[in-house]
Order: sequence, then structure tokens, then C-alpha cells
Amino acid sequence: MEAFLEIFDIYLLEAVINGILLGGVLALLALGLNLIFGVIDVTWICYAELIMIGMYGMYYLFSVYHMPYWVAAPLCILLVAALGALLHFLVIEPLLSAPPINQLLATGGVLFFLQSFATVVFGIDFRNVGIKLPILAVGEMHFSYARLLAFVAALIGMVAVYVFMKKTYVGTAIRAIAQDRQIMVLMGVDTKRIYLITSAIGGALAGLAACLLVLMYDVHPFIGLSIGPVTFLICVLGGLGNFVGGFVASFLFAEIISLGGLFSDLEWGYVLAFGFFILMMFIRPAGLLARRS
Amino acid sequence: MSKMVRLAFAFVACLGLVVAAQAQDRKIKIGVVYDLTGPFAGGGSELQYTGAKIMIDYFIKQGGVEGYQIEPIYADAQSKPDVAINEAVRLVEQEKVDMLMGFYSSAQCVPAAAKVETLKKFMWLTTCISSAVLDNRHLHYVFRPQVSGNLYGVAATDMIAEYAKSKLGKEPKDLRVAIVHEDGAYGVDVAKGDEAGSKKHGFNVVLKEGYSITAPDLSALVTKLKRARPDVIFHTGYNPDITLLLRQAREQGLKVQAIVGQGAGYSVYDKLKEGLGDDSNHLFTIDPISIWLTNPKSLDPALPPVIKMVGDAFDKAKPGASRSAHVGMSASNAYLFFTRVLPVAIKKYGGIDGEALRKAALDVDLPEGGTMLGFGVKFAAETDQLAGQNMRAFPVVTQYVDGKAVVVWPKSQQQAEPVLPLPAGTTYSNK
Repeated sequence: MEAFLEIFDIYLLEAVINGILLGGVLALLALGLNLIFGVIDVTWICYAELIMIGMYGMYYLFSVYHMPYWVAAPLCILLVAALGALLHFLVIEPLLSAPPINQLLATGGVLFFLQSFATVVFGIDFRNVGIKLPILAVGEMHFSYARLLAFVAALIGMVAVYVFMKKTYVGTAIRAIAQDRQIMVLMGVDTKRIYLITSAIGGALAGLAACLLVLMYDVHPFIGLSIGPVTFLICVLGGLGNFVGGFVASFLFAEIISLGGLFSDLEWGYVLAFGFFILMMFIRPAGLLARRS
Repeated sequence: MSKMVRLAFAFVACLGLVVAAQAQDRKIKIGVVYDLTGPFAGGGSELQYTGAKIMIDYFIKQGGVEGYQIEPIYADAQSKPDVAINEAVRLVEQEKVDMLMGFYSSAQCVPAAAKVETLKKFMWLTTCISSAVLDNRHLHYVFRPQVSGNLYGVAATDMIAEYAKSKLGKEPKDLRVAIVHEDGAYGVDVAKGDEAGSKKHGFNVVLKEGYSITAPDLSALVTKLKRARPDVIFHTGYNPDITLLLRQAREQGLKVQAIVGQGAGYSVYDKLKEGLGDDSNHLFTIDPISIWLTNPKSLDPALPPVIKMVGDAFDKAKPGASRSAHVGMSASNAYLFFTRVLPVAIKKYGGIDGEALRKAALDVDLPEGGTMLGFGVKFAAETDQLAGQNMRAFPVVTQYVDGKAVVVWPKSQQQAEPVLPLPAGTTYSNK
């Protein structure tokens, strides 16, 4: 019993809170991808690479051109939003009526293109903006402000997307198209324009993630290898296109990684998280919060 | 001039042309494999490539070796073991190279060495260190002038044991140590050395754990380290996992007496400094000594001018970059091949096939100071457990002190005593 109680110490609490903060980071990553899939019904395999380009944008604006962070961040969000719209215009739109596998392969091709593009243009060196945010200390527990910021941004982003979708005309049109893309054309909605706006918003959310990730990670052409697979798993776990599901899945996944890593080897945390994912794919293949048909 | 004499002249002239043509035809094709893209590239592999290329270009400019032109064919392993193997096979079977050189990552070396062995081609490993590449495999054609990974842990623990009482204020048996490593062949091998060294000195190992270099979060590991309260952390990683771990350690308030990094990402000081700022001060790294830190008086007199040449060529290739130990490592090991193995294979063993190169490699017998890296060379014979390993190679422990790399261990190479423990008030110091 004593041994059992020993694990309920301050470090357990720290791990739980760090799991929540990691969940915030993952939720932020999943937000834009879910929006794109929910509306356009296309999975951007290259989503993490858009974030990588955004991180490079932040690095150059902040570290090379010496812009203040708060000026560089909106510019970076706009840059990735434009990139998202461009991606839709050049790659997705011509393939909208193609089989899903073609769309996947095309965005997969963009993934390799962006990785190679970044390697050629930016080089293979790891870049770092060198910003050290203060640390929040509560007793023996310490937390990262960068992760707190990401957590808050994920919450705000989630609420903002929700309000936009529910309360604005464009948002309503986006939801309507997500429900039935054929009928909306007959009702006079310009689906091309709506898709372009949605892609730009998805890109902007990737840009927002880039502005915050650059405070936590080095930038290099292959950072997508670290964050991309987890982002997809979370979106699928929550139900592709389901914002709330993605949000819940982010925190569940992060807590399993954090607590699994604390009680066993760190690698087991990831094994458990992926095991949970596989199990849920059997139990709830349409996602955690999918309605039963 | 009689007709006969004119004919004789013509014959000799033709013969000369044929011989000259043959001499020009004689060349050694070398497949050179490093990671030029992917995470390992920035973690040190591209610097290793630069060092090897500087040396290959140097010998090409010299007109080759013993009448053989040198034709390098460079390949990118893309930081992936499967690509490394495929490239090695492609170079041998399609490009028809005579031998292979390079290989940065141990995760690539272990399978690639086994594959190249089956192709009966000579393989000269300039970089990867894992013991698993050679241990108990009795490979015939694979040679590694580089230090073996198990010696890294020995160097790290020997140094800490030596200064435990005098600088850390604890007997070795009371010292709490944590061993943290990336979970590839490189990290696992070095961690084994750390564990064996800790056992030898009686350290109390409070945590030993591996992690994937692509893990997006290491906060749980930092929390465990805080709970385990180690005095010293032995860490083996590439980059950017090193910066991720140390950044999260700072954010979560991890405090220790020393952090002993062990090669790879820790030997790329520019990147450590960029990622960690002042927190990179007083970190350690373990690798063969930087060729620019060796004592010129202890070296073969032919070597200091070559070291200068490598430095000048590197400065020209990468203006403003600091001279990383990685560059000198591959340059020295390539130089060793072109001066001590290739000429002997050609002159004594009649060619450049795998067998001739193998015999020439086994003939090499250099005392300490015989290479730019300070150590000597003698390869273990095929019957030995570590067949193909340079048994005279040893690493040194280097510490970054106020922007300078200082060799602090072993005592025979020591430029200054290590700064231990971490100075009070610094980010990771528990003082």
C-alpha cells in the first residue's frame, strides 16, 4: 500500500499537467487538418510540412530580419494561409472529383516536394530562434510558458473556429458544403470560393501552430517526421473532420504518452498511445466522438 | 636513319602511348556514403562528408595514389538505414565501385557492413562507432579506424570517478548517475559502456532509459530524472533531440552536478550554442580529439601541415563555421586510407581488390601520434572478437568552456582540468 501511495507525489501531478500542455500542442496541430478534411474531404498529408515552412518563415522574419515576434507572427500566419490557398488551387482543386487515393498521393507528393524544397533553399542545418521564455514554477513543479501559450492558443483557436462556423455566413456555407457538396451548388453557393477560404483558414491554423512550435523545437526540413504522424493519428482517433473529437483525442493521447512514460520507459508511453489508437479503431472506427449510426 | 631504326622508334613510341593510356585507365572508384539530408545531416554527418571530401579532393589534386586516379561517387543515405543499404548495393553493383567509404550512423553501419561483406567489397568506416558493427561478426572486408563505442562510456565514467571526491564531493559509490540515450545502435552501445563503467566504479545508477530521436516530447523523461535526482547525467543523442531534452530540462527545472554528452550532436558546438545559448556552457562531449586540438609535437611531423590544409579548406568551404571535430575525424581516417592502406595494396599486394586492400589494412601498424587524431593504428585480426576494429583508437572528453573546446580527459591529453560541478547559478546547476 505504501509503495502504491508513493507514486502519488508531486512528480505525478507534474506529469499530468505536462500531459495537458502537450495535449494543447497536439490539439493546435490537429485543428487545421480537421477543418480541411471536414469541409473539403481531402487529407493534407503535407500538413506538417506547411507548418515547417511557417517555422522557417518565423525564423527568417524574427532572427534574420529582426522583426519583433508579434509582428513576425501575423505575417507568418498570413504566409502559410496563402500557401494553403495556393495548395488548394494548384493541387487539390484539379483532383476534387478524383478517387481519394489520388488526392492522398498528390498531397504526399507535395510533402516530399516541400521537404526537398526546404533542404535546397534553407539547407540541412537546424535553426533556432533562440527565444527563452520564462518558466512557471509552482513549488517543485515547473512548466513551460511556450507550452502554456500553445495550450491557450489551441483553446482560443478552437473557440474561434467554432464561433466562425456557427455565427458567420461563410461559416454556415462551409458547414452546409461539408454536409452535402452537390446540393449547395444547386442553391447558388460558390463552392470554389468556399473551398479556397477553408484552405486559407486551414493554412492560417498551420501558421499559428508554426509560430508557437518555433518556441519549442528547432526548425529543420524534416521536423514533419516528428509531428506529422502523431497529428494524423489524433485526427483519425477523434474522427477526421470532428473538431471536438480531435480536441478530446489530443488530450487523451498526450496523457497516455506522459503518464505511460512516467510509470514505464518513455518508449512504452508511445507504444501504449499507439496501442490505444489501434484498439479504438476496432471499437470506434469512425472516431471517439462519432455518432453511432 | 635506317629503316630499322625508324621502325624501332615508332614501336617504342607506340609502346609509350599504350603504357600512358593504361596508367590513365588505372583508377580506384570509391563509393562515399554519408547523410546529406534528414536529421543526421545537420547532426554531424554533413560535416563528416565535408572532411572526407576535402581529403579525397586533396589526393585527386595530387594526381592520385601510386599511379591510380581517384574517382569518388558520393551517395546520400538520407538518414535512413534502408537507403544506406540500397545505396551501398547500388554503388557496388551498378556503379562498380572498388570499395566503400564513410557511413555516419551506427544504425546504418550495422546492416550495411553485413551486406557489403557478402558483396566481398572493402569497406572503410570513417565514423559510426557502435560495437555492434564488428563485435563477434568476424567480418573479412570491413575496417574501422574510428574509436569503438564501448570506449565512450569508459572515458565518461573514468573521468567522473577520478573527480568524484575532489570536485563533486562524493565517493564514487555514493554518486547517483543517470544514463539517457537515443534508442538506435549508437545510443544503446554507448549506454552499455556507461553502464559497464558505472558498475566498475560502483556508481549508483538511478535511471537508465532510451528514447526515439523523433519523439516530439521528452517531458516525462525529464520528470523521471527529477524524481531520480542524479548527480551526473550521461547522455547520448543526435540533434535536435539533444536540444529538445535540454530545453525541456531547463523548462522543468532539472538540476544536476554535470551533464556529460557523448559525441554526435554534442560535438557540433555551433548548433548546441544556437539551440541552447549560454546553457551549452560547461557541457561535455566525447569523441576522437579534434585534429585542431592535438599537440603537434606529439604527432608524426608529416601531419601538422595536412591538419592546416584541412582547416584552410574547411574555412573556405564553410566560411564562419567553427571547425567541428567531425570534420577532422573523417579527414584523418580518409588520409589514413590514402597514405597507409591504398599504396601498400597497390605495391605489395598487386591491386585494389577487396583482398589486397584487406591485407594492406592488416599490415598497418602505427604508434600513438601516427594519425591526426593522436592515436595509433592496428586492426584486430579476423579471429579476434572485434575483427576490423582499430584497437589503438581512443576518445577524449572535451568540455565547452566560455565558447572554447578544451580537452579535459584522459590526463595524457588534458589541456585543463574539467569544470566540475556546474558553476552555481547556471541553468542546470543544483548548487
